[in-house]
Amino acid sequence: MKRVFTDVKKFWNYTSYNVKAELKSEVAGSFLSWLWWILDPLLYMLVYAFVAKIIFGAGSKPYFLVFVFIGLNCWQFFNRVVRNSVKLVSNKKGIVTKVYIPKYMFILEKIGISGFKMLVSFIITALFMVYYQVPLSLNMLWVPPLLLMLAIVTFAFSTIIMHFGVFVEDLLNIVTVGLQLVFYMSGIFYDIADRLASKHPNLCNLLMYGNPVALIMTDIRNTLLYNQAPHFLALGIWLAICLLISVIGVKIIYKYENSYVKII
Amino acid sequence: MSKSAISVKDVKIQYRVMNKMSLLKALLNPKKFSKTEYFEAVKGVSFEVEKGKILGIVGKNGSGKSTLLRAIAGIFSPDEGSIDLHGHSISLLSIGVGFQNALSGRENIFLSGMLLGFSKEQIDEKLDEIIEFSELGDFIDRPVKTYSSGMHSKLAFSITAILETEIMLIDEVLSVGDAKFKKKSYAKMKSLIDNEDRTVIIVSHSSETLNKLCDNILWLHDGEIKMLGTTSEVLPKYDEFMS
Repeated sequence: MKRVFTDVKKFWNYTSYNVKAELKSEVAGSFLSWLWWILDPLLYMLVYAFVAKIIFGAGSKPYFLVFVFIGLNCWQFFNRVVRNSVKLVSNKKGIVTKVYIPKYMFILEKIGISGFKMLVSFIITALFMVYYQVPLSLNMLWVPPLLLMLAIVTFAFSTIIMHFGVFVEDLLNIVTVGLQLVFYMSGIFYDIADRLASKHPNLCNLLMYGNPVALIMTDIRNTLLYNQAPHFLALGIWLAICLLISVIGVKIIYKYENSYVKII
Repeated sequence: MSKSAISVKDVKIQYRVMNKMSLLKALLNPKKFSKTEYFEAVKGVSFEVEKGKILGIVGKNGSGKSTLLRAIAGIFSPDEGSIDLHGHSISLLSIGVGFQNALSGRENIFLSGMLLGFSKEQIDEKLDEIIEFSELGDFIDRPVKTYSSGMHSKLAFSITAILETEIMLIDEVLSVGDAKFKKKSYAKMKSLIDNEDRTVIIVSHSSETLNKLCDNILWLHDGEIKMLGTTSEVLPKYDEFMS
């Protein structure tokens, strides 16, 4: 594990420069593209709020629009990074075959890029909260660690998916369907507890605690909007699990890196 | 007294022969997926290169030349044996390391340079020289995707040639761009190679180039050393073997 620290330190400059350059090029590429970082989640928010509120009659929660918006921000971050990691190594063929770089640095790069966009969206969230006059609370201080935790969860799953993405051609199809399933089960435009707790208590617990993304999303909403403390125990367990997966993922990547070059 | 710059000891490199597969295939034929075969590309190679010397590597296709070169460059580690660079900086001269097409030429200089292990300050120092050598002019601030293929290779060559390292690995001597730039790049390459402090390994199929540039020749055959000696000893025998 000592190798991880020296490697990350060595390639940190490259990765952070790359993140900045890529964000900059997105802005420079089209005059309005940075506006899409904001518009994209806003428009999706309207779509899902419409579906939930008008069609299913589910949007009775206070601050419902902000509720959906926070969910979408978290989801888009996770979704983007995980989806991208499937083809990550083959997309970076130009680099992989010519210099050595620990391949998980690519995931960190994606986390940096999507993370920045997520932070921009959270600034919009703050504006929303001012507009809706959400009362301030100390629980809001939990948001930064929760976001960090979301990044760790995302990294953990991405390492494994990136590794198998090198060898399995059609993994993208499966991951896409899988992510779609997780999307609908994560309660992005509905509240898992409100909808399911009374009718299907077991299913409710499974969806809530068996899915780290849903758990973190719920806790970010609870701390930001409803002045509730996070589920510490469940979060702690998931943190341990995801750190373990990360360690295993990084080990697998180190072990098989040699063969990546030959296969892509 | 001469000191070695590169020590390669008993290096073996294996590839796990794993083919890309679709998940359906893997499910229908799980044995095939879990079975790993090994293919040994380099089978126990040892040699030393003294500082300032130029070593050429020859061999037919698939003899393990490029694999060995990549291992020395550190792109992957050998399965057995060791490669010691005695603390020298190293780069594999190749076209367009990690170019990002949406970014400008200037930004790509930084990205490539950092990938090669240079700090931002070191690149800053050489930035003007690189831009000048590449002859790109105003294009340097436009996205690389707008470049012609000639401009693309001019930039790539300039980056690796100006950001010099103590050890240079060259996979086929590069001559890029139009006739004028070809001449210029060949001259630059020659001056880099001729520098007494620089250790160079060149992989090439052209006996003519190797004859002109190299002190010693390593002949690889099926992953093993067939012959190692001075250029005048090895090259004629190799040419005879190949003809």
